[in-house]
Amino acid sequence: MKTIRNLILTLLPIVLVACGGGSQPSPSASTPSSSEEKKLNLFCWSEYIPQNVLDGFTRETGIKVAVENYSSNEEMLSKLLAGGGKYDLIQPSEYTIEALIKADQLRPLDQTALSNFVHIAPEFRDMAYDLGNKFSVPYMAGFVGICINTDKVKTPVKGFVDVFTPDHKGRIVVLDDAREIVSWALEMDKLGLNSVNAENLKKIEPLLKKWLPLVKVYDSDSPKTSLKNGDVDLGVIWSGEAALLYQENKKFAFVLPSEGSHLFVDNLAIPKTSTHPQNAHLFINYILRPEVSKLISDAFPYYNPNLAARKLLSPEQLANPASYPPAEDITRMETFTDLGKESASVDELVTQIKAGGK
Amino acid sequence: MSDTTWLDRGGTHAGSRRAGWPAWLLLAPLLVWLGLFVLLPTILLVVTSFSHRDELGRVVYSFTTENYLRCFDPTWLSIFWNSILYALAATVICVIVGYPAAYTIGRAGPKSRRILLTLVMIPFWTSFLIRTYAWISILSQEGLANSLLLSAHIIPGPLSMMYTPFSIVLGLVYNYLPFMILPIYTSVEKLDNSLVEAAYDLGAGPLRAFSRVIIPLTQPGIAAGALLVFVPAIAMYAITTLMGGGSNPTIGEVIQNQFTRARNQPFGAALGVLLMLLFLVCFLVLGRKKNSSASAA
Repeated sequence: MKTIRNLILTLLPIVLVACGGGSQPSPSASTPSSSEEKKLNLFCWSEYIPQNVLDGFTRETGIKVAVENYSSNEEMLSKLLAGGGKYDLIQPSEYTIEALIKADQLRPLDQTALSNFVHIAPEFRDMAYDLGNKFSVPYMAGFVGICINTDKVKTPVKGFVDVFTPDHKGRIVVLDDAREIVSWALEMDKLGLNSVNAENLKKIEPLLKKWLPLVKVYDSDSPKTSLKNGDVDLGVIWSGEAALLYQENKKFAFVLPSEGSHLFVDNLAIPKTSTHPQNAHLFINYILRPEVSKLISDAFPYYNPNLAARKLLSPEQLANPASYPPAEDITRMETFTDLGKESASVDELVTQIKAGGK
Repeated sequence: MSDTTWLDRGGTHAGSRRAGWPAWLLLAPLLVWLGLFVLLPTILLVVTSFSHRDELGRVVYSFTTENYLRCFDPTWLSIFWNSILYALAATVICVIVGYPAAYTIGRAGPKSRRILLTLVMIPFWTSFLIRTYAWISILSQEGLANSLLLSAHIIPGPLSMMYTPFSIVLGLVYNYLPFMILPIYTSVEKLDNSLVEAAYDLGAGPLRAFSRVIIPLTQPGIAAGALLVFVPAIAMYAITTLMGGGSNPTIGEVIQNQFTRARNQPFGAALGVLLMLLFLVCFLVLGRKKNSSASAA
């Protein structure tokens, strides 16, 4: 009997380690010394900054980059605020920049250290969430749209109304992002992208209850995987992921939903608690270099706000409908704004319907 | 395992004397470990579970029981129930698959026993995340399993195996099977063969000898294995997220979500505390069962 107990005691740590395996290996927090230490703790979206760009930066500057990934702005926020200052550079989307500025969590950028900012297209400067780019620099932009495997889906799909049909039950992948999902329903009911309040959430609830049980996979990290493997036939995913699928196989079509779509702008910003702000500036300026920005577009074909980099892209890259949709569609798009308190109820609503709507 | 029996004997000897300072010194690293990494986090968890949160999701330490009240919403209860079912299914399959394997290993000769045990342990040499991703490419619609079955004309069209309860349970069984095999193996290895022979001598057939003698004698191993599989399987979130696709959420996923996307640490902590209580009940139930069966024997 005791041997069993001993066995449990010896095995338990292994079990615990095995269970904890999913959590990120946290980069050892750098000791708060001079900002000249050759280290940079980067906290960025998964599948967004290619390894060759990171390696190039390290080769040039000798600064080692420790990377940790997140798959939603909300996840980033919660880890940043609980993290006790271990991140030097983060990559929030526009509405999260807005929230972070409001909460006084960002460090003002030193414009003199960012000589390559001149390459950013005028329409991506001075955006409403950060006038004067005091705190943030655009990294990539994109859209959320519908990706269709045209080999499997023969009916025309133009908008959300065609995606979420009983016909497509168990064949759909969507982003695992409550804010996104709610915004689609708001567009569908013509309530306005950012008009999130208790009343409107109540209004879209029946729609979500109809939609979510049809979904097979929720994935924000790499929604292209289930499409590529044939486990699902269509989905509402990031434009860059759809562009990658299109590059691989032309059967994957990309459509901006007819009900409306929104533009997202992901930025680089330095948290107030950063211990290596100078290195972070070096990295931002490096990313803004046209040749480097082109490398990012090669790996993750989102909409590049860097005009000089866009000139370096091949005609095929620029012709990818998921990367560069018609300009008039883009000018029509709105961006997300910070929801403040309401953001909690958004997640609550989606999680509950996801769990209960089976 | 012979060294553990030696340790046990040492333990009973030491128990008869009073523990002096050298004993406490030897225990100190363990006590510090337990204090820092078990006791302290648990206290933190409990405190957080009774707290509020602010707009950005930071914990505000003011007392409330609302997090616990929320836990009993039917939504979360049904997720709890689903997770228990998945874990239960995984445990039962592990016993059915693991017992014959453990029995064979325990009864094998010393040399082949060592080889077989190594084979059981080999999967641990690779990260379980990598092994889980391997399963994804095997089970997906255009994956290995489907293309094999299709080319052999066993199935008319590709089966939908990924992102279903099937793939979740498969992932759990695959990952936790060794934790079932090893404890059963230790029980089988210690099984006194003369007792089995006695059963035969007294007229029991193989089935009867198995069900009346072998199973009861190896029951502690089964119980330990069941605990080692069932408990971590309920809370597992990595495998269930990757192989379940998020449309069949488990309690582990929900808790992880509260600490990340949902930015509701107090609620996540409350669910975590309830999960711990559930484990405690499991331990007590299985522990009592073991004791009663021991006294009956």
